[in-house]
Amino acid sequence: MYAIEVEKLRKEFKSYSSRSGLAGAFRDLFTRNYKIIRAVDDISFTVKQGEMVGYIGENGAGKSTTIKMLTGILTPTSGRVVVNGMNPHKERERFVQTIGVVFGQRSQLWWDIAVQESFRLLKKVYRVSDQDYNEHMDHVIETLDIGPLLDKPVRKLSLGQRMRCELAAALIHNPPLLFLDEPTIGLDVLVKLKIRQFLKEINEKYNTTILLTTHDMTDIEALCERVIMLDEGKIIYDGSLQHLKQNWGEGRQIHFQFRDMVSKEELTSLVHVTWEQGEDRYNWIAHVRTNDMAHVIGQVVSSYELKDIHIREVSTEEIIRNIYEEGIHHG
Amino acid sequence: MFYMSIFLQYMSQYIKTKLQYRADLFVEFLSDLMFQGVNLIFILVVFGHTQFLNGWTRDEIIFIYGFFLVPFALFASFFNIWDFNERYIVRGEMDRVLTRPVHSLFQIVLERMELESLLGGITGLIIMGYAASRLHLTFHWYDVILFVLFVLGGTFVYAGIFISLASISFWSDARSSIMPMMYNIGNYGRYPVDIYNRVIRYILTWVLPFAFVGVYPAAYFLRKTEWYTYSFLTPVMGVVCFTLSLLLWNAGVKRYRGAGN
Repeated sequence: MYAIEVEKLRKEFKSYSSRSGLAGAFRDLFTRNYKIIRAVDDISFTVKQGEMVGYIGENGAGKSTTIKMLTGILTPTSGRVVVNGMNPHKERERFVQTIGVVFGQRSQLWWDIAVQESFRLLKKVYRVSDQDYNEHMDHVIETLDIGPLLDKPVRKLSLGQRMRCELAAALIHNPPLLFLDEPTIGLDVLVKLKIRQFLKEINEKYNTTILLTTHDMTDIEALCERVIMLDEGKIIYDGSLQHLKQNWGEGRQIHFQFRDMVSKEELTSLVHVTWEQGEDRYNWIAHVRTNDMAHVIGQVVSSYELKDIHIREVSTEEIIRNIYEEGIHHG
Repeated sequence: MFYMSIFLQYMSQYIKTKLQYRADLFVEFLSDLMFQGVNLIFILVVFGHTQFLNGWTRDEIIFIYGFFLVPFALFASFFNIWDFNERYIVRGEMDRVLTRPVHSLFQIVLERMELESLLGGITGLIIMGYAASRLHLTFHWYDVILFVLFVLGGTFVYAGIFISLASISFWSDARSSIMPMMYNIGNYGRYPVDIYNRVIRYILTWVLPFAFVGVYPAAYFLRKTEWYTYSFLTPVMGVVCFTLSLLLWNAGVKRYRGAGN
């Protein structure tokens, strides 16, 4: 049983480009240059119940558009979407009862009223019984540590406090599927950690499926075993984070600090790997495969006098950046 | 039933919020009252010069005005969604609305309600009472039922027109300045339509049926038998207008493109 099934999903937007100048504006009045923009381009994937999936991509890659189709906000141009066994847009009102949504840049709560009043309204809207509410929300409120915030109006909360309340609000009806669109945007490290820990907990406790978009790779590393990577509306990678790291992030960067100046030619003739200059000609960085590490260090140490060496793993962030810059190719 | 309990929940929340800002509430109430005062003075000034307007007496026109205020107050309290495009489409609030298990229009009505506008309805009743006593009108017991029906009909005519206008936002990104114009046209419904040119009368009856908010239903209570057909059409027009606007709205929601973020 899949929580999300997506097949050849496509969303096109019609947009018109305006001509420049006043004369152009007049021409636009009569004929417009329409352009079809394919925000999501025939993507297919499935997500199993209980999985935590990171949905990543640059701005404008089509992440939000996909999420909006999965949550029933937008109608797909073509393709098939089945989420929790339903068609999100067709059966919207019944469907949204089974999902929770957090948009990091938009508030779900009422601005003027106290947090607990917002919760009470949502409890009514989602038809949650008092018993279920108390049982479930007491735990959520405690874990997210928002008890002291409940009687304050939302407009008086800090971003971190608000975000924790938003998360709690999305969970009032204890949905089996949770969509989080940049939930940690603009938050400090402590709040981020708290939110991650909380998400892990509900995933374990209720087997909640979580689909997460974020620009913060540490979120993905902390939470998701699987990532789906999107570029210009197409899926360019779908698999485990581990696999991604092994394929594109294999190898280490060794940073050498030499006592004397050296040139790139000297170093390349000594060991044939990629050398990159650091701040000056005393500092050089070698990009090597993990297996060759000992050999490279041995060679360098025996030929030159060194002040310092350190070895660094390639971060996920760099891997992702490399993939976007160079395109996907199996290295 | 579920919708009723949600409605009550929102309403109690609304009242709680409003009571927090007492000064604000007071000012709003006062400006509302002044607005209606100005309208009434306008009618009195017009009749300072003539006693009859195409066969209608001053008191009859005041009665129509009073009647008009009641459905208008109901409309203004619940369906006043003139800023829908700005607030929900441009700012993307519609996204949030669409992720909740209640009909989208109903949610927006609840979020935008302004119960203090109901006071206008009370002013309306007082004006009607004043005019009725000067006209020596008599009422039957079933007139109360008809009054309620006609008021609801008028409210739904008004609501239907404004919901349809709001639905246009789903198709066009442009901010429209139609809304203020509509409020002006809406005011024409307060005067006897036979004082207007035929085309305008036709428009106010069948295209933008604002006449069903004021003159037509009020004519029944003024015992203008020649208008009775129109009077009794009021609830029908209300249902038709509102249904059409709902269909338009639902079609619009399917077209909703969302705001980029």
